[in-house]
Amino acid sequence: MENLGGLFNPSSPEMEAMADLTYYTIAISAVILGIIVIAVAYIIIRYRKKPDEDGEPYQDFGSIKIELVWTAIPIAIVAVLFLLTCSTMKAVDPPAGDREPDIVIIGHQWWWEIRYPASGVMTANEVHIPVGEKLLARLESIDVIHDFWVPELGRKIDLVPGHPNYMWLVAGEPGVYIGACAEFCGDQHANMRIRVVAEPEADFEKWTDEQLVVPSTPTAGIAGEGAKLFQTMACMNCHTIRGTAAAARVGPDLTHLADRATIGAGVLTNTPENLAKWLANPQRYKQGSLMPNMKLSDSEVKSIVAYLEALNEQ
Amino acid sequence: MSSRIPLVPENTVPLPSLKANNGLLSWVSSVDHKQIGIMYLIVTFIYFLLGGVEALLMRVQLAHPGNDFLTPELYNQLFTMHGTTMIFFVVMPFLIGVGVYLLPLMIGARDMAFPRLNALSFWLFFFGGILLYYSFFTQSGAPDVGWFAYAPLSEKPFSLNKGPTYWALGLLASGIGSVASGLNNVVTILTMRTPGMTMRRIPLFVWMMLVTSLLLVFVIPIITAAFAMMLLDSMLGATFFTPAHGGSAILWQHFFWGFGHPEVYILILPAFGIISEVIPVFSRKPIYGYEFVAASTVAIGLLSLGVWAHHMFAVGLGNVTNAFFSLASMLIAIPTGVKVLNWVATMWGGRINFATPMLFGTAFIIEFVVGGLTGVAIASVPIDWVVTDSYFIVAHFHYAIFGGSVFAIFAGVYYWFPKFTGRMLSETLGKWHFWLTVIGFNMTFFIQHFLGVMGMPRRTYTYYDMPYWGPMNLISTIGAMILGLSVLVFVWNILVSLRNGRPAGDNPWNAWTLEWATTSPPPVENFELVPPVRGRRPLWDLAHPDMPDEPGAKIV
Amino acid sequence: MANNKMLVGFFIASESIFFLMLILAYVNFHGSVTDGPTAVNSLNPVVTGIFSLFLFASSFTIWLAGKSLREKNHFMLKVWILATIILGAVFIFGQGLEWSGLIDKNITISRNVFGTTFFTLTGFHGFHVCVGLIMLSLLLALALAGDFKGPKSDAVECISLYWHFVDGVWVVVFSVIYLWAFL
Repeated sequence: MENLGGLFNPSSPEMEAMADLTYYTIAISAVILGIIVIAVAYIIIRYRKKPDEDGEPYQDFGSIKIELVWTAIPIAIVAVLFLLTCSTMKAVDPPAGDREPDIVIIGHQWWWEIRYPASGVMTANEVHIPVGEKLLARLESIDVIHDFWVPELGRKIDLVPGHPNYMWLVAGEPGVYIGACAEFCGDQHANMRIRVVAEPEADFEKWTDEQLVVPSTPTAGIAGEGAKLFQTMACMNCHTIRGTAAAARVGPDLTHLADRATIGAGVLTNTPENLAKWLANPQRYKQGSLMPNMKLSDSEVKSIVAYLEALNEQ
Repeated sequence: MSSRIPLVPENTVPLPSLKANNGLLSWVSSVDHKQIGIMYLIVTFIYFLLGGVEALLMRVQLAHPGNDFLTPELYNQLFTMHGTTMIFFVVMPFLIGVGVYLLPLMIGARDMAFPRLNALSFWLFFFGGILLYYSFFTQSGAPDVGWFAYAPLSEKPFSLNKGPTYWALGLLASGIGSVASGLNNVVTILTMRTPGMTMRRIPLFVWMMLVTSLLLVFVIPIITAAFAMMLLDSMLGATFFTPAHGGSAILWQHFFWGFGHPEVYILILPAFGIISEVIPVFSRKPIYGYEFVAASTVAIGLLSLGVWAHHMFAVGLGNVTNAFFSLASMLIAIPTGVKVLNWVATMWGGRINFATPMLFGTAFIIEFVVGGLTGVAIASVPIDWVVTDSYFIVAHFHYAIFGGSVFAIFAGVYYWFPKFTGRMLSETLGKWHFWLTVIGFNMTFFIQHFLGVMGMPRRTYTYYDMPYWGPMNLISTIGAMILGLSVLVFVWNILVSLRNGRPAGDNPWNAWTLEWATTSPPPVENFELVPPVRGRRPLWDLAHPDMPDEPGAKIV
Repeated sequence: MANNKMLVGFFIASESIFFLMLILAYVNFHGSVTDGPTAVNSLNPVVTGIFSLFLFASSFTIWLAGKSLREKNHFMLKVWILATIILGAVFIFGQGLEWSGLIDKNITISRNVFGTTFFTLTGFHGFHVCVGLIMLSLLLALALAGDFKGPKSDAVECISLYWHFVDGVWVVVFSVIYLWAFL
């Protein structure tokens, strides 16, 4: 049976705490529902009007004692649930105090800008973290309200323009964790996926170093052509490629695009073929996306793909 | 004053035929609460069909991952309109409409306190809905920002089309009508009860409508203000909800949910009222614990004003705030639970007739308890952090609103249709309707609890091919198709029974409240003679003079 | 007999919530403007205060109208209703002066959150005053035509209640916008 994901595969102590609370609550609820269902089933069988029955049954108006008992019991259940709620809240979301965030996540329609203040790494849609470490994320939005949700790792939290939020991010096991935007943010809300890659410390350092490499601009071959096209077509108006004049933040940083697993925040797997398809007409794969169809010719597409792939080979 | 020359001839028959002379005019100009009530029921039913089609289209799109049956733009319009329609143009006006019909009868009055205000309410609702649906025919289409229209997505520059404006204006108009209904109900209930009917003797449906009406009076202005601010933002460049200019996106949420949460109690309390009438009659026993059911209604009404931010646990309001709203939301489960136990206790020891109203009434209890229990779960902040904005929430509120309000509405229709029309609905078709509804409803929504906890977000026009999500969504879609079929059976039942239904007589269910003490349908003046009221069940007291509900009650 | 006064009473309760929301919005944003027009640097509480006295006085005159009604003094009823209308109109005139002064200085509803909340709150209040003036004018017209001989009239009593409400709202709005800023 395949991994069911989400609540069924908690991969951090925080998520486990929330999963436990959920299971306790579901268990209590199941018992309560069971009592009601059994009572109703019994009533249907036992108190159904039989054909030979005549007249009215005993007219019972109620009993104050019983009302008090069955008000007191739910109060007790609620009290227990509330105490568990508070303790789980404290465990999952302790205050951040003055600590500086390790990761800054900025929501855009419809992609995630990811920055690491300490190292200076800037990337998009994929968050790499060292396994086992409890990191503090600050979440902001540049446009509308988004929500960061990786079901196996922990709570979700809104990215509200004008109101930065903080969240702890930790993965207990190495792996790739898939998440999604969880606050309706417009046409392509459904295609704003998150990938959290949790890796051993050494691998994470290696990734950081690779991300910080500023590639030199290719000049020869179709990659060189692509580099020139990138500067002359409108790409620079929206994207950053470090080491060049392109430094806009409307769209994702493409310096190490070739390193990422998906294109368009999850809409396509990242292969040169798919990248070519995307460039030929992004609106086909993410209709409404803020990247217009640049109406590139086939050779232009080939060149730019070659350029972007070449950036990562250094 | 000089002699009156009415524009429209006085109405002398209960249900004037449209084919009669001035037939349509007599309906359109009517200020009779029974005609207005019936108009509410007919129009809400049309919106129910529209909202249902919207839902079916969405479910077809979601039947498998990566589907392209609908474009994202159209899907987003559909889910916005589905939610807005079902809440504001189906459940709420249906319950208001059935209240408008029944309240004067149940309290032994001739009409509402303000008959013309009553008509105004209906027409505001009617035209508000038309204004909203007109948006489908405009160039930019229907609103597509969700029924909750969060800022700043709903405003410029993120929403450049007119959809949200139609949404706000249509709801504004309809909302003013709802306040007027609330005001009318409150004054009617407080001042027009027949002698002998003290507040402690009014039917529980009337209690529920009283609390609901007070809620309408006090919370619709909250959303009216929010709509006004939103329209000022979009039309005059005001900055209430635009963070880029110093406004606050969170302020919109506080206003919206400050209204929106009490609104869901407005949707359920009258449904509780219907159930509180149906279950005793079909169990042949009085409601168990009348005082506790009435008091718990008041408690729910008051508590409902203090829980709104449980819709905002993921917004980052701070854990002290979160904890307060968490506790308040859990507390509201207590009076609600008391009601459920009282209904079950009413059935206990009864001699139950499982006619269609009672089938829906009994199923209501189970379905609503599921919705209520998941509600208590999500009142817990960490659990909410896991499941909010996922299909778990979609499942939760459909169990509460469909499994709750709509099932109660069906129970009410089968119960009171004979009174409104003089004919019984078919029991055979009723049972088919019931079972198709139960199977279709549970098949559609139960599995969504699991989709939610497995990580499927809501308000998404498509989803990724995660393990099992496709088959689970397909099951949900098939359930929705069965639900669609059940509605067709219901429509058929109504049409067939209007023509050929068994004549009902005054009191086919042998019920006890005053609406059954007159003909079916009631005459224009409601009663030839209102029976004496010396207890909660006037007709029981009449039929059992040796065993009155309140022995020793003074004759008024 | 339909209880008109109860209806107006609950209606006033409902409208109070509406105004409460506008006031909460104002309060929420108060103090958040760091540069640009704010209450402190844009408003003149003294001038507005003087015009407010006219509105408060109109509550007194409508009360006198009610008293005349109870005493069946038809002539004075008309006088006091007219006085109320005039006093209310002066208040609206003052609001108009204030608004045009602000707009001249480019302080508009879209300028910043102060402009937004100020114009919205005072605007809806002014709108309610205008609706009141229309209803009072209708009352006056009917009175001139011979209606309201007294001692009772639901119409006069209900509209008076509404007028007092509109006045009461201004007490709160004036305190929140003008007094709070300057204290």
